[in-house]
Amino acid sequence: MAELERTEWYDLARTTSWTPKYVKEEEFFPPEMSDPYGMPQEVWDTYDEPYKTTYRDYVRVQRDKDIGVYSVRAALGRSHFVEKAPRGWLSILKSHYGIIASVEFTAAIYNCRNARFGRAGGMRNTGTFGILDEIRHGQLEFIFPHEYLKNDRQWDWAVKTYHTDNWTAIAGRHFIEDVMVTRDAVSSTLMNGFCLETGYTNVQFISMAADAAKMGDYTFSNVVTSIQTDEARHAQIGAPNVRFLVETGHKDEAQYVLDNAFWRSWKLFLTLTGPAIDYFTPLEKREKSFKEFMEEWIIAQYRRQIDDMGIDEPWYWDIFLDELNYAHHGLHMGLWRYRPTLFWDPKAGVTPPEREWLEEKYPGWNDTFGKSWDVVIENLKNGEVEKTLPLTLPMLCNICQLPFVAPPNRKTKDFKLHDHTLEHNGRLYHFCSKPCKWIFETETDRYQEHKTLIDRFLAGEIQPMTIPGVLAYMGVAPGEMGDDADKYTWVDAYRDVKAAQ
Amino acid sequence: MSDEAPEVLKPLKTFSHLAKERRRPSEYEITTTKAYWLMDSLAPGDDFPGERQTKEPFEISSEIPMAKWYHKYRDESPLQYKNWEAYRDPDETIYRTYCRMQDGQETYVDGILDEFSETEHDVDLDPKWVKVLASLYTPGRYPLCALQMGSAYIAQMAGSSTIANSAMFQTADEFRWVSRVAYRTAELAKTHKDAGFGQDERKHWEGDAPWQGFRELFEKALVAYDMGESFTAINLVAKPAFDEAFFRQFGASARRNNDMLVHFLADAALRDSERSRRWSTSFVELALNNPANQKVFQGWIDKWVPLADKAIDAFCGALPDLPDGAKDAKKAAKAFRASLGFSG
Repeated sequence: MAELERTEWYDLARTTSWTPKYVKEEEFFPPEMSDPYGMPQEVWDTYDEPYKTTYRDYVRVQRDKDIGVYSVRAALGRSHFVEKAPRGWLSILKSHYGIIASVEFTAAIYNCRNARFGRAGGMRNTGTFGILDEIRHGQLEFIFPHEYLKNDRQWDWAVKTYHTDNWTAIAGRHFIEDVMVTRDAVSSTLMNGFCLETGYTNVQFISMAADAAKMGDYTFSNVVTSIQTDEARHAQIGAPNVRFLVETGHKDEAQYVLDNAFWRSWKLFLTLTGPAIDYFTPLEKREKSFKEFMEEWIIAQYRRQIDDMGIDEPWYWDIFLDELNYAHHGLHMGLWRYRPTLFWDPKAGVTPPEREWLEEKYPGWNDTFGKSWDVVIENLKNGEVEKTLPLTLPMLCNICQLPFVAPPNRKTKDFKLHDHTLEHNGRLYHFCSKPCKWIFETETDRYQEHKTLIDRFLAGEIQPMTIPGVLAYMGVAPGEMGDDADKYTWVDAYRDVKAAQ
Repeated sequence: MSDEAPEVLKPLKTFSHLAKERRRPSEYEITTTKAYWLMDSLAPGDDFPGERQTKEPFEISSEIPMAKWYHKYRDESPLQYKNWEAYRDPDETIYRTYCRMQDGQETYVDGILDEFSETEHDVDLDPKWVKVLASLYTPGRYPLCALQMGSAYIAQMAGSSTIANSAMFQTADEFRWVSRVAYRTAELAKTHKDAGFGQDERKHWEGDAPWQGFRELFEKALVAYDMGESFTAINLVAKPAFDEAFFRQFGASARRNNDMLVHFLADAALRDSERSRRWSTSFVELALNNPANQKVFQGWIDKWVPLADKAIDAFCGALPDLPDGAKDAKKAAKAFRASLGFSG
């Protein structure tokens, strides 16, 4: 006899559910941790994870993958790419590590939930692989930036971010906890596995890998590509659960949690990935625009994915398509203006040729965002940097925790900047959009208590009530706080234009 | 902020939370410490200026069921320590060393399975022993899955990312043995078609007297949701009891029944078991820096050991040719706890 084929024993390794006798079923699988939809065990017994591997194959394949990643790191470490890289590109790396690394470990906790409270053996096993994968991602995304600490203090934020009340951390925690770790094992596999990991991470990881390769940053390209190959496996934990919910008459619930997660994911990615692709990446190295990546990976792929499962497109689809044209431009402008609050140096990315590219990719950009940048440029040309810095704080949304943004041209007939408000229990809440307000109204108990950074400021929790006071509250100090990536040298292009004229 | 200009931070040699150690951190420390934020509410943030101070496990509402769960079972656990973050895995296991180590271990196991398969080991097994394998060995994937689940629970409730990390690798180790037992089950089924391999395991686990002690122990340990109690019930009591009975004693019985394959597999599994005891020891040693925890641990041990001993008696009592099996298993589990300063 020779070694058995995987198919000969695989099912046994996932046939591990039994009926508890010495404790009650609802103690063993508490609905709030496990399955609040009450799907019967016979349904769970048909759970079939789409991507099958074994522990044995896993440790072999992953060992080899890590040898690959770490040997590239060793070889490229000697090339000193980071010391020579443009600061705009470094901002992509810093924002990526600072926002993503700890989230990877949090995803390991989410998978622990699946490994304990999943009601099917296959789900528990997929969760177990997910735990290992996410440890890997977190560890890779700590060890790489650690190498760069000697160059500059901002790399410290790879670990530090989420242990602060920086606005990016508040927004990140609020979102990640909502979709990943504060819900039962079924809902979170839809929100995180099916929506965030299957749909959205592609945008960050594949687009960044493409741009990084063009940049010559083979280290980063190699890391994110390797991570994405794991993601493709464990992200599928949610797919059977979507089907189960639809088939057992819980389509509305599935639709809600997916629509919630899709919208919230959009808000994260437009902040992190949008500016990275359309502003921070050097013009000549850009693979596609953020909108084009979104069209390819989200609009086409996610639509196909939900169609297959009998899920409808979110009710706010037209709002989403509309925001795709402008929201990340507004966010980018906000990031640049509020650069002292960041742990990376945002690149303005609005030299004449870059504007030409933006206009081509987003027709109308020059008449809207471009006009606001003209004012910034004029101030910088006059040496008045302080006029480009924040004097006060922006309005933040009570769901996504992000500033309200819209194309800055009041003369257009459909000016999009609206404060969607709701009075609830004597408190006035503000939302940047209809979907954010809808999420709040649907699960008011879940969200009502939270205070945005602005709410905290107005409540006197941040002292002194000044910009330096807010910066200290957010944990950013001189030496790490963001500034213009190019030290304003890009403004010279406009001086030259004027001189030529 | 005062009018005084704040200090301009300088580049560092390591992450700021490790800089105070004044030594070069290991790769383990760089990649495993302070790795996420869900435990920030357990201790004041004092690693750097501007670290958040919070009493809430989650950013969003403290009224949701998950927040209440974490408050009740983690933050208000009788097992209290001011700095869980100080826990370190004595093996400093990180992902890439874990995969490398376990790939090596699995290659060894592959080799054994292959070798015994080549020599048609299963054909030569005594029919009486085959029945023992069918009723007492292959159903083992159920309790192993219970340990997989229990380890994953310890990890999600952990007071630091370093503790979580140890428990996460333990989760994977348990799954490793769920898989290997499943493999052996299918292999045995090929030679012994009528012994119920691959068919009757659940029936044995749910119905046979030798298993009911472990079934009761695991079901109850899995609902001991307090983070300290779940660690104690699983890592200090149930897992040592099970590993001693199911691997060491069953392995010994197998050896006496000419089933060297199971004996070798058990030996390989006990390597993982030893690693669990090493990190559990470090966890207990850290917790005992708070003297009040001695009583807390001991109280839980006193509660759980009788169930575990009963489980060992029932299981080992059914093992052929092993009159002292139960006694030896209980003694070994007790010795482990005694090494930590506990009685029982």
